Amino acid sequence: MTRFTPSMRKGVKFLALLTAMFVFAACAGDAELDTRSNLAGPEAQSIESFMRVLLWITYIVFAFVLAITVEAWRRFRIKGDDYEDDEFPAQIDHSKWEIVWTIVPALILVGVFVFTLGLHNQLNSSEENPISLVVGDGANVEWEPEIVVVGQQWWWEYQYHFGDVELTAQRIETLPDADITTATQMVIPVGTEIELEITSRDVIHSHWIPSLNGKRDAVPGRQSAPWKIQADEPGVFFGQCTEFCGLSHSRMRMQVIALPMAEFQEWVTAQMEGVELSPETAAYVADLAAGGTTAPEGTEQRAVDTFRTKCASCHVLDGVTNGIVSRPEEQLVSGAAPNLTHFGTRTTFAGGIVNVWDPDTGDFNRNQLGQWLRDPSSIKANFTEPVSEDDARLRGMPNLGLTAQEVDDLVGLLEMTGAPPTVDGDSEFLISETGVE
Amino acid sequence: MAIVERPLAIGAGDDAIETNDRPLGSVTRPKETGSWKDWLTTVDHKKIGIMYGVAAMFFFVIGGAEALLIRIQLATPNGTLLSPDVYNQVFTMHGVTMIFLVAMPMGAAFTNYLLPLQLGARDVAFPRLNALSFWVFLFGGLFLNSAWLFGGGADGGWFNYAPNSSVTFSPSHGIDFYALGLQITGVASLVGAINLITTALNMRPKGMTLMRMPIFTWMNLVVQFLLLFAVPVISIALFQLTFDRLFDANFFNTEAGADPLLWQHLFWIFGHPEVYILILPSFGIVSEVIPVFSRKPIFGYSFMVASGVAIGFMGWGVWAHHMFVSGIGPISVAAFSLSTMFIAVPTGVKILNWLATIWGGKLRFNTAMLFAVGVVSMFTIGGLSGVTHSVAPADTQQTDTYYIVAHFHYVIFGGTLLGFFSGFYFWWPKMFGYKLNEKLGKTNFWLQIVGFNVTFGPMHILGLQGMSRRIDTYDAGFGFERWNFVATVGAFIIALGIAFFFVNVAVSRNQWIKAGRPNPGPDPWDARSLEWMTASPTPVHNFDEEIVVESQDEFWHRKYGYDENHNVVRIATAAEVAQDGSNTNVHLPSPSYFPILLALSMPIISYGLIYSLWLCIPGGMLMVYSMVGWIFEHPDDPNAAHDHHDDGHDGDDHGALPDSGTELEAGDGDEELVAVGAGAVGETVASDVVETEATDG
Repeated sequence: MTRFTPSMRKGVKFLALLTAMFVFAACAGDAELDTRSNLAGPEAQSIESFMRVLLWITYIVFAFVLAITVEAWRRFRIKGDDYEDDEFPAQIDHSKWEIVWTIVPALILVGVFVFTLGLHNQLNSSEENPISLVVGDGANVEWEPEIVVVGQQWWWEYQYHFGDVELTAQRIETLPDADITTATQMVIPVGTEIELEITSRDVIHSHWIPSLNGKRDAVPGRQSAPWKIQADEPGVFFGQCTEFCGLSHSRMRMQVIALPMAEFQEWVTAQMEGVELSPETAAYVADLAAGGTTAPEGTEQRAVDTFRTKCASCHVLDGVTNGIVSRPEEQLVSGAAPNLTHFGTRTTFAGGIVNVWDPDTGDFNRNQLGQWLRDPSSIKANFTEPVSEDDARLRGMPNLGLTAQEVDDLVGLLEMTGAPPTVDGDSEFLISETGVE
Repeated sequence: MAIVERPLAIGAGDDAIETNDRPLGSVTRPKETGSWKDWLTTVDHKKIGIMYGVAAMFFFVIGGAEALLIRIQLATPNGTLLSPDVYNQVFTMHGVTMIFLVAMPMGAAFTNYLLPLQLGARDVAFPRLNALSFWVFLFGGLFLNSAWLFGGGADGGWFNYAPNSSVTFSPSHGIDFYALGLQITGVASLVGAINLITTALNMRPKGMTLMRMPIFTWMNLVVQFLLLFAVPVISIALFQLTFDRLFDANFFNTEAGADPLLWQHLFWIFGHPEVYILILPSFGIVSEVIPVFSRKPIFGYSFMVASGVAIGFMGWGVWAHHMFVSGIGPISVAAFSLSTMFIAVPTGVKILNWLATIWGGKLRFNTAMLFAVGVVSMFTIGGLSGVTHSVAPADTQQTDTYYIVAHFHYVIFGGTLLGFFSGFYFWWPKMFGYKLNEKLGKTNFWLQIVGFNVTFGPMHILGLQGMSRRIDTYDAGFGFERWNFVATVGAFIIALGIAFFFVNVAVSRNQWIKAGRPNPGPDPWDARSLEWMTASPTPVHNFDEEIVVESQDEFWHRKYGYDENHNVVRIATAAEVAQDGSNTNVHLPSPSYFPILLALSMPIISYGLIYSLWLCIPGGMLMVYSMVGWIFEHPDDPNAAHDHHDDGHDGDDHGALPDSGTELEAGDGDEELVAVGAGAVGETVASDVVETEATDG
């Protein structure tokens, strides 16, 4: 028996190390999705405080089991494989012990459950705290505040509905047009409890911003029970789709950007307006929208023309696609494509995996955007083949076979769609914080 | 069911009975033994158990290779070994293979081999059905994996959530193979469940009340009940899925108004009892191994049984804990959170009883014991992390992350698989007549348990760091790099450990052959239950004569008694007590071609459903043909299939039935079920085809 004592000791040491590993589990510094550190939401913080106690209970129970095992090995093992017939331990059986170790764990669990119930109720309660917003035209509107979160393969859409709109328990198709529609990045005011109405347009996804709260599935055909998030400090909070949703599940990310109320207000105001074009181009768009067939003059008008012919069947760009009704449902299985009106105010695109702005230089990321327009599948796995012979719909951004000229024009047009909001007065903050490698 | 057929009752001096050996005029009942063909037609529960084990090991190697591919892909950020599409197939098939084609059939292997032996029985209740379960499982597993040859495996995850499983979102045939393949293996589980429940309830020997049944048998009885009720649920769900995909039935099509949560409920009402289906056989094994190597009876036998049964019942009330974030109502979440927490109580009772058994024992830490003790501590980790996500709010952070991956690997690898390895080392001499090498065995154990912890321990951390499940790559900068790399190293340590097991089998067998095939004796470990009361390896007829049971741990009580001071004293050696397997002319259930033919028809029909409905016609014809042939083939051929057939003796094998009441009740015909309730043996009718001819030749 002694011959494997050293390895046995090693095993014990290893298990001790393992236990230590769990204790220090939250030590990683650069973990933006960490559920246990850098938490900024009261929900996530409550969960973590509970989790800390819970983990200690499990460490103690495991240490107890391990200690008994190791001590039994130390005290009661016999050397070698043979032993005498008289070497018999007492053949005991005490049912009083059974009672003890049925009751004691049950009592511990009753305690755990009582606290669980409290936390569960805290997470699932919500209070209505309407806030007043000044929207684009200077009018005051009440905002619940709630945001409709829509998952689709493989990006997230966020809809803001101002005024008195009943959003709860509505199917996504029946919702009225949103006042603001954005993709991949949700912008919220700091210190405000936001109610999320989460749903999906195709398969099941799961919306998760670990540093603010746990996750909630986005189920097609239904809206989740309200799920709230709140950020207590300005910043960028990363998220990742956590329900397996097919090919590019791993490339379906999102960020929540929490802004102080004033900056949030500015963001809202900007989002309510269309893209700013030169007066000539704006007139050109108005002409086209009215049924005109003027030929484009100059780069900007050419870009507008390309967008209207190649992109507008799925994408909306207010100020450019005027007069066109996008019908993404005819082109895409999910029936939706990101609204690009304020593309430049976001810092990532393609499901949160590519930078709109270079995090080092702060320049518009023309290279990767161009690459995306030329061949989307080279950046993010998509289904470029139609669903079937009878169903020509695609899943994800198709390769449109754009010419180099068209790609350049479109990149130029998208560069005109705004700049990221400032956070606490810092205009570079977002670009450097959301940088994707 | 309980029909006792009389025509075959064989009286003294009767001539050979004529039975129809070619019920359909085309397939002749096999008679030869000893060739490889014997394995195709055997109805011997031991051979079937071994085949289950070999097949499960084969699939284990496939599933393990898939695991290594996953780990290589994730070892570094932006892994490029597998494309996203292939990765999704590989992780799906890894899960499906390991659960349905490794853990479940490996449990079936042990149950098949050991359950009749622990009952002192000749075979299971329905031997041909037993063969059917195995072949159906094997063909179902091969069919499922054949998807790789036909354009790729299923890509929807093992849980295969709707509507991602629809043709729109998964246009390849992978999920068709998943649905039909699991449907087929489900048939195997159902057939096996009916068979083994009947066996355990009806074929116990005289005196073996339910509360004297070995815990291994008890736990597997619970498992078979779980299968009996859980498999139909997944069968329905899989039929719906198949009809959706092949015939646009719209069960799960949200565009047509379906609610995708329907699939989740069906899947997890099956899926959670499934977890206990996977773990309870291992609990049974551990409960057999630990007392033997502690030289103590299991601590709290009745509580061990009761907690197993309680887990079996409570296992039905926890399924929605897989759906805490799916949007079910807050009340449901709270209720399932509660029930999930409290299933930890009976599980904790088991852990503490094992510890109490070890405590104060005389412990022999050989490989079987190390694996069993390994289960106790590793499963504890899995159970405790389970408690952390029974707390629904915490689960909203943990679910669908690597924390869950870590949790269920601690349960299924640390609990189930380590238990099976314990069982291999423990019962190997009983099954194959030689012990496995202890030195290699311990190397196997330490590599496996270290590798296991290095692989899955860090996954707890990764999950809490926010790494999602089922992602084919991750970017640098999220802090996932270090522990993913460690986990990959661990996976290769596991692979090395498993390789040592295979090496051990080869080396031990060679050494045994070189040493002149020494017999380990009936009882190499000084064990406690009835399977050790017959020769090693188990003779084909199991037991020479019926055992009358007087206590729990019957075999041990025949070897040991107590003196006046209540000290244990040996009263007999194992060799004196055990049967030597020398009996001849024991009539055994006859082999048959029909189980394998019937099983073969199922994948043919399934290929037909996927590729061309015309193929269903020959498949269906084969199925009907096999069923009819099965019906008309008498379950037993009285003129054949006798163990130790002694051609030198006079007359036929069917001499007088012994008067002494030593008839063996055994698996003697599919139509027949001889009620041998506890304590009721004396009144039972004589089995009509299985008899022991103690006075023969």
